[in-house]
Amino acid sequence: MIQEVRVTIKPDIPDPVGEEILYEINHTLHIRSVKKVRCARVFRFEGITEDEAIFLAEKLLAEEVFQSCRVNGPVFEDAATVLEVAYKPGVMNPEVSSLLKAAADLGLAGLIAADASRLYGFYGHGVRAEDIKKITGKLLVNATVERLITEKPETLLIHGAPGRTAVIPLRNMDDTQLMALSRDRLFLNLTEMQAIREYFTGIGRDPTDCEVEIIAQTWSEHCVHKTFKAELLVNGRKKEPLLHRLKEVTESLRHPLVLSAFVDNSGVMEFYEGLAICGKVETHNSPSAIEPYGGAMTGSGGVFRDIMGTGRGAKVVASTDMFCFAPPGTDPADIPSGCLHPHYLLRRVVAGVRDYGNRMGIPTNNGSVHFHPGFRAKPSVIVGAYGILPAALGRKGEPEPGDVALAAGGRTGRDGIHGATFSSGEMTDRTVEVNASAVQIGHAIEEKRLLDAILAVRDKGLIRAITDCGAGGFASAIGEMGAKTGARIALDRAPLKYPGLDPWEILLSESQERMVIAAAPEHAAQIIKICRDFNVEATVLGEFTGAGRFEATYSGETVMDLDMEFLHHGLPQQAREAVWRRPQFAEPAKPPVPEDWPALYRRVMGHLNVCSKELIVRQYDHGVQGTNALPPYGGLYGDAPNDAVILAPVPGKPYGMVISHGLNPALNRIDPYYGSLWAAAEAASNAAAAGADPAELMLIDNFIWPFPDEELLGALDRAVDACVDFARATGMPFISGKDSLSSTYRDSDGKVIKIPPVLCVSAFGRIPDIRKTVSTDFKQAGSRLVLAGYRDAAEMGGSVYYKLAGYAGNNLPKINPANLTKTLKAVHRAVSTGQALACHDISEGGLAAALAEMCFGGNTGAAVNIPPAEPAANFLFNETAGCFLLELDAGADAGSIFDDVPFRVIGETTLEPVISVGQDGARLFTVTLSELKEAWQEPMKEVFHR
Amino acid sequence: MKPKVCILRTDGTNCDEETFYAYEKAGASCRMVHVNQLRLKEENLAGYQILALPGGFSYGDDVHSGKILAVELTSFLKDQLAAFVAAGKPVLGICNGFQVLVRTGLLPDLTIGEISAALITNDSSHFECRWVKLLVEQSNCIFTAGLEDTIMDVPVAHAEGKFYTGRSTLAKIENNRQVVFRYADTQGRPAASYPANPNGSLNAIAGICDASGRILGLMPHPERYVETTQHPNWRRLTGANQPHGLAVFHNAVNYARQM
Repeated sequence: MIQEVRVTIKPDIPDPVGEEILYEINHTLHIRSVKKVRCARVFRFEGITEDEAIFLAEKLLAEEVFQSCRVNGPVFEDAATVLEVAYKPGVMNPEVSSLLKAAADLGLAGLIAADASRLYGFYGHGVRAEDIKKITGKLLVNATVERLITEKPETLLIHGAPGRTAVIPLRNMDDTQLMALSRDRLFLNLTEMQAIREYFTGIGRDPTDCEVEIIAQTWSEHCVHKTFKAELLVNGRKKEPLLHRLKEVTESLRHPLVLSAFVDNSGVMEFYEGLAICGKVETHNSPSAIEPYGGAMTGSGGVFRDIMGTGRGAKVVASTDMFCFAPPGTDPADIPSGCLHPHYLLRRVVAGVRDYGNRMGIPTNNGSVHFHPGFRAKPSVIVGAYGILPAALGRKGEPEPGDVALAAGGRTGRDGIHGATFSSGEMTDRTVEVNASAVQIGHAIEEKRLLDAILAVRDKGLIRAITDCGAGGFASAIGEMGAKTGARIALDRAPLKYPGLDPWEILLSESQERMVIAAAPEHAAQIIKICRDFNVEATVLGEFTGAGRFEATYSGETVMDLDMEFLHHGLPQQAREAVWRRPQFAEPAKPPVPEDWPALYRRVMGHLNVCSKELIVRQYDHGVQGTNALPPYGGLYGDAPNDAVILAPVPGKPYGMVISHGLNPALNRIDPYYGSLWAAAEAASNAAAAGADPAELMLIDNFIWPFPDEELLGALDRAVDACVDFARATGMPFISGKDSLSSTYRDSDGKVIKIPPVLCVSAFGRIPDIRKTVSTDFKQAGSRLVLAGYRDAAEMGGSVYYKLAGYAGNNLPKINPANLTKTLKAVHRAVSTGQALACHDISEGGLAAALAEMCFGGNTGAAVNIPPAEPAANFLFNETAGCFLLELDAGADAGSIFDDVPFRVIGETTLEPVISVGQDGARLFTVTLSELKEAWQEPMKEVFHR
Repeated sequence: MKPKVCILRTDGTNCDEETFYAYEKAGASCRMVHVNQLRLKEENLAGYQILALPGGFSYGDDVHSGKILAVELTSFLKDQLAAFVAAGKPVLGICNGFQVLVRTGLLPDLTIGEISAALITNDSSHFECRWVKLLVEQSNCIFTAGLEDTIMDVPVAHAEGKFYTGRSTLAKIENNRQVVFRYADTQGRPAASYPANPNGSLNAIAGICDASGRILGLMPHPERYVETTQHPNWRRLTGANQPHGLAVFHNAVNYARQM
């Protein structure tokens, strides 16, 4: 018998969540028949009496101060329609464990299962069935993980038979049968399938499902980066594999601060006083495309675990998020079938990042959102994390034969099966049906207590090696840790969320919030005890052997016995051909001259790629841990964006870390080489503008590319060359990176949509004294405004200004990294010596946008003079990265700061809150800060209703 | 002798280190104590002079913010809590800690197990992180001694921070001067509207104490402003600025020293 408790907010008290949903229904779905929405919670309990349910309602579920409740009875009986939305069975519902815990704390012994869901009451005359269907489908239910509840369930328990292992008769399969097996399940090509067949033919037996699955996972593009390791022929010329080039340039730089590059879960650099800092950036595009809330959550959770699993365990100190979406106002008819609308995606991705980071207490304080119609079939969702750890524990640990393999954290379920292979395949209109299990909901508190436990275990010196369970689950974590030694695990020892998993599912499950620790066997009991103190489950799964094999048993029976050498090195190296031809875009012969300058200025500020993203940042707890020395938004009204975030991760110490990033999908389309240089220059410039020393910055690359055909591979090759050239010229090493080559969508007619290629470059570094850094807001009237850096203002290709005029253009900013290095040094000099009162780098929207944002921050105006003979629009709206606008005290000597770096005094700050621009002694236009700010804040207000 | 502070943590507590640092900076000696250690009797509140319930998302804020921890405390640690309070020792609940204090019944009325107020979903319906101004009211709260009528800059970061209660309880805490902090506008007046009042709290209430003034709960985070460079606009500040949050911790430490 199931007991049901329904809890509502009392009718005379506002229901903000209901109001928010109503707004979405009215304004986004344009359904006017619904006049009011009320929300309720539904709790279900199995194994207790109705009296006990009433007791729980009073003590736990409903607070009489503002709520009412009903046990085993309906609510909202006066509503036109009532909908109940619940997670599907088997999908992680984080609330359930709390219900069980609190019931036990209250002394209820009989409770065996619980569930929680949401109920909505819709009010209004003339609410039609089709309205409700649309509200359900577009707003309230994501069918991947959720469902409507229409009747009382019989039971809340998930039953299952004991797991079984199948043998796959692979040796007798012909090529067609091999590919039939691969499709939708393994995502391997014929050569790879043939290599597997050859291996098992050689050892004289057929593989188990465990073995086939683990090979497919280990060999997936997501895990092994086949394209980045392939031999390349570009336009007929042989070139080194992409990954090799990136690693080689980092090695050649021999940067003295690098502790660990490309070998661990994140890149590690020296910090101060025996500490190290580390950074990792990941993409989570495929899950976020079909379930944005869970996808963003598990993306954050995964990259946090990468930090936790760095060296011998690190504390996570920051989170970053970079998104690319189609414009939120996109006509729903333009969204391909099987894809979600960007308005919904943006809101739900933000909610996912928010709910995971905030609950874990990790400040999300650097990020950006880019909009381009090309992302309508699949967004790019990039999440980063940064950490701190003792430098002595900063290098990756190695298990020794005889060490135990402990699994710690969440239990293993069927969720996330095939995540690695799924992420490696292209998305189709069938993706949602076939791969629903690849998406899951994160449980931030599970991961938070796991982080607390790991740091406690680490501080006792008990960790020999640690890694997270990400793509590929135990298979990948233990397979990689034991690659040199070998490992033997008993799959039936893994704690399960519910019975019925087959051994291969336990092996491959990507259930979140799990880590694997290698430790000396005599330490196992102590580790398990410490974990238990933090309410974390830890279990010895097996040991590292020294036999060079990856073995698994289930109920005493061997279900996997593979040669580690074959598993990790049996994958045939790919040879790929690439071609590069520069596309041509429409370009005006002469720069278009606007008729109405203030109107144009407002349109630039209100462009989606320039507009304020403050409303997103406000939803993130960007201040938790108390470390912000330069927050994402500052200035008099807290609404002026800074270029980078500076954290003081050790309270009371003068030193800090800086985090920034850059990306520009618009430029990448025109030329991936210069687009990528721009991204790297933007990342470094953002850090330098705040006061970072360019000699102490590290870089992280994230290539998000469509499944590469010859041309896209040619583009990728150019992007990698740009990174290599940038690193060599500036001396900034790439120490971590990731490629995701699945930004492709194929519809039911076979038509392919290639999502715009993105290179995101993240930068992080150390700063000896946070007091010698600067924010972007103007500090006073009467200061001199100096534009510094190398640019050819005629290079307007890819700019927002061109876009508004209807052009993409070809003549994009061509940044010279050697020159950039000189500029960055000069800017660092200006800031660290205290001569710059404010500094902002130039990016989307150009000098005009940077100037306006600096004015907003200080509520200060500016008077600017454009040099004679310079086209005014180019001067104001050119977007060459690596240029800076600085506020210098009227008495400062710009010449001594900038030396041979080009600079120009372009005007001064003023008291009156207007921006006035003149040329040749005549006034070109004047515009008020308030009209610019209104235009700049409007687009995200539209999405986030504030 | 440095007063000993118990920084109570559990699954999802995430402002424990800042709170620890703030109290240490104010001259206390802090210890992180997991609620499991109290349940297992490895630790006892009697060994401490100050109790701090830091911010975070205890047990995910499932069901209600702070609810699961409040149930745990009232189920297992009622006697220890009652003894601690009866001994006249200060208790500070910040953000999630405030939510826990209200849901245990310790605030506003010292009635463990009886709830008379609530912190409910922000009017904006979602989490919000921003710096606000707080007006320090006249009260007998020991944490704000000497700060009355000043304006503090501190951040808020919460989704369920709207102070709500029935008319009679509201009148009672107002008449008893149990309101310690109110959200204020730029002129320092109690703020009725967003964003100065970030959550829609009744009477702009940001923090309250019990009748004795020794138990304080507030939604904003004073522990995030105990160093000058934690202020979002520290570069614009002129003159000698004592970080505003620090005084709250100093007051508690000074009070505990004289106990």
